Amino acid sequence: MPSPRRLRVVDRAADTGQPEASDTDAGGWEITVDERGHGRLEPSASDANPAPAGVKGDHVVLVGRVDEAGAGHTVEIVVDGWRFELSVEEAARAELLARATRNRDSVARSGPLEIRAIIPGRIAVIAVVPGDRVVTGDSLLVLEAMKMQNELRAPRDGTVGRLLVAPGHTVELGDVLLTLE
Amino acid sequence: MTTVAAGTRSGPTSLRKDERTPPFRRVLVANRGEIALRIVRACHDVGTEAVAVYSDADAGAAHVRAADDAVRIGPAPAAESYLRPQAIIDAALGSGCEAVHPGYGFLAERAEFARLVEDAGLRWVGPSADTIAAVGDKLAARRLATTARVPVVPGMVEPARIRPDALDDLVAVGREIGFPLLVKASAGGGGRGMRRVADPDELVRALSAGAAEAEAAFGDATVYLEREVRPARHVEVQLLGDASGSVVALGERDCSLQRRHQKLIEEAPAPGLDPEQRRELHEMAVRIGRAAGLVNAATAEFLLDPSGRFWFLEVNTRLQVEHGVTELVADVDIVVEQLYIAGGAELSPSLVAAAGMATEPTRHAIEVRLSAEDPSAAFAPAPARVGRWRMPAGPGVRVDTAVEAGDRIPPDYDPLIAKIMTVGPDRAAAIARMKRALDEVEITGIQTTLPFHRFVFRDATFIDAELSTDWVAEHWDGPGERRARRETARRAATALIESQEDAGATRPVSLRKDSTGLTSASTWRATGRRVATERWPR
Repeated sequence: MPSPRRLRVVDRAADTGQPEASDTDAGGWEITVDERGHGRLEPSASDANPAPAGVKGDHVVLVGRVDEAGAGHTVEIVVDGWRFELSVEEAARAELLARATRNRDSVARSGPLEIRAIIPGRIAVIAVVPGDRVVTGDSLLVLEAMKMQNELRAPRDGTVGRLLVAPGHTVELGDVLLTLE
Repeated sequence: MTTVAAGTRSGPTSLRKDERTPPFRRVLVANRGEIALRIVRACHDVGTEAVAVYSDADAGAAHVRAADDAVRIGPAPAAESYLRPQAIIDAALGSGCEAVHPGYGFLAERAEFARLVEDAGLRWVGPSADTIAAVGDKLAARRLATTARVPVVPGMVEPARIRPDALDDLVAVGREIGFPLLVKASAGGGGRGMRRVADPDELVRALSAGAAEAEAAFGDATVYLEREVRPARHVEVQLLGDASGSVVALGERDCSLQRRHQKLIEEAPAPGLDPEQRRELHEMAVRIGRAAGLVNAATAEFLLDPSGRFWFLEVNTRLQVEHGVTELVADVDIVVEQLYIAGGAELSPSLVAAAGMATEPTRHAIEVRLSAEDPSAAFAPAPARVGRWRMPAGPGVRVDTAVEAGDRIPPDYDPLIAKIMTVGPDRAAAIARMKRALDEVEITGIQTTLPFHRFVFRDATFIDAELSTDWVAEHWDGPGERRARRETARRAATALIESQEDAGATRPVSLRKDSTGLTSASTWRATGRRVATERWPR
């Protein structure tokens, strides 16, 4: 029987552009996953934990990558073709971390590096996709400004996390362009 | 005793319908992705060898592995690889090819490239360089259509002269056409190089800005004014011609479901046309093809206004992305026909027969374009590495794709990754099959346009064929649709982490990943199997 515990779940690609966090009781649901990642999510049959209101029946989802991240995990869940990358961590610990770093944009774990625009301009070329491994100096993207092509390079080794822009986007000074993990 | 070889005419049953030797010994496929693979397959189907070209991003790609030979043409950026005319011609000559098939996009409609290919002694699989040049100029195409007695979208057929002494005249022409109207670039196409002008006071500025953009984008500042036909349906006709002057219409397609002039869903035939309308449409398209001296495959595009009238828009002198739905309805292979026509053959008897039946189609086909785009973020490209990849199959389902599980979708190219097509005896059957096919799709690792397509095929206005080019903007709320699934995703993620930790690990279990990016952990498998057998006993 899953014990109800407070977990913080962060949707890293929320439509608002900011990661969206919510604290939840972990109890009330069960999931069974086969080797191919087919998951069936059902309310737990338990009188002590009635199914949360508004979410009925069982759901078929796809479970993709599950990676350890700090003291928690990132989990990829696909529902009806919608892809979610969720960070799951104990809420208490996540709160402590968030307070310590005082960063509203924190993904509640030791941080990915945010690569920001140092001049305003237009994204001309993106050379990487999420998941690519890069080394210091690798070209990440090209920002066009004042008729000049400004190439952004990786400041350290890492893995490309999230792309927040696409070719053709206009960006302001300080906008986060991508994250490096 | 004489033996009769199978497949010869003198046998009791001819085993081959159109008896033909291979059109070429070797063809260079000047493209990548799904269309390159599609062309390689057509070559192999008729005994022709295919040579692939690839950039560094495509070294292990499916189209390369399917070909008989492959030539590297440069690093990932298109401008340094697939858009380099000389690299492609050198690849063709160096590998013993006799012809070049350009596919769609890239250099497919560049008349200069077609000319370079022809000058190098290679056959160009497509309309001639002269036809591409003549008809690629949209104003010239409008004049051509007019001489062929085909109604064009009301507007100018000569360039707008943006001179201080001509401005009043331009505004007068604009008023005659009627506002809102469109400023269009003559060298543009496919929705590029267009500006909407609602206010006569904005016209002059829009013309200047439009001309500057056209110069920058196409190297040609020519612009003109055209009426905005709205709401409208986008209906196009597949044409094929040969050197003897025969031109046929193989059927029409409706491509109204678009977003910012990018097609998302196409179908054949166009729903709701009566046989007379269809016949007239095909005849108009054929007249344009004849007037252009069309050899090989092209598509004539029209707008269908609410009163049921067709207005000519433009001609695309190439194979189109959505050609497959016409193939499914007419039961022909357009790429094979292209190869034979390029080799000097006339239109095959089976093609001519299919064209003869195109005004009374007995099947309906639909295509959805699956792209690596986020339909909750204005369809922004979302290239990444594919995890799991499962495409539908079964009766009436055709999938054209070159992507496989574990592939990295490069950021350098168009994000189209698969075309899922269904065919059935009527539109309802094709829709039912598409619903079923979309349910079979399983993709992890990348966000795709799948949720958009699933939405469309459950929407009453689409099912009732109430189409227009405004449909997507009016019906699709991407962020809302995604938000509605978030709770389920969160529950699944928390339940997953819970079950893993409850399975006895005191710290997070080290999770193995296989090559598809899937995770397997022995604790999960045990838990999953145990619970699975409890819930679904055999």
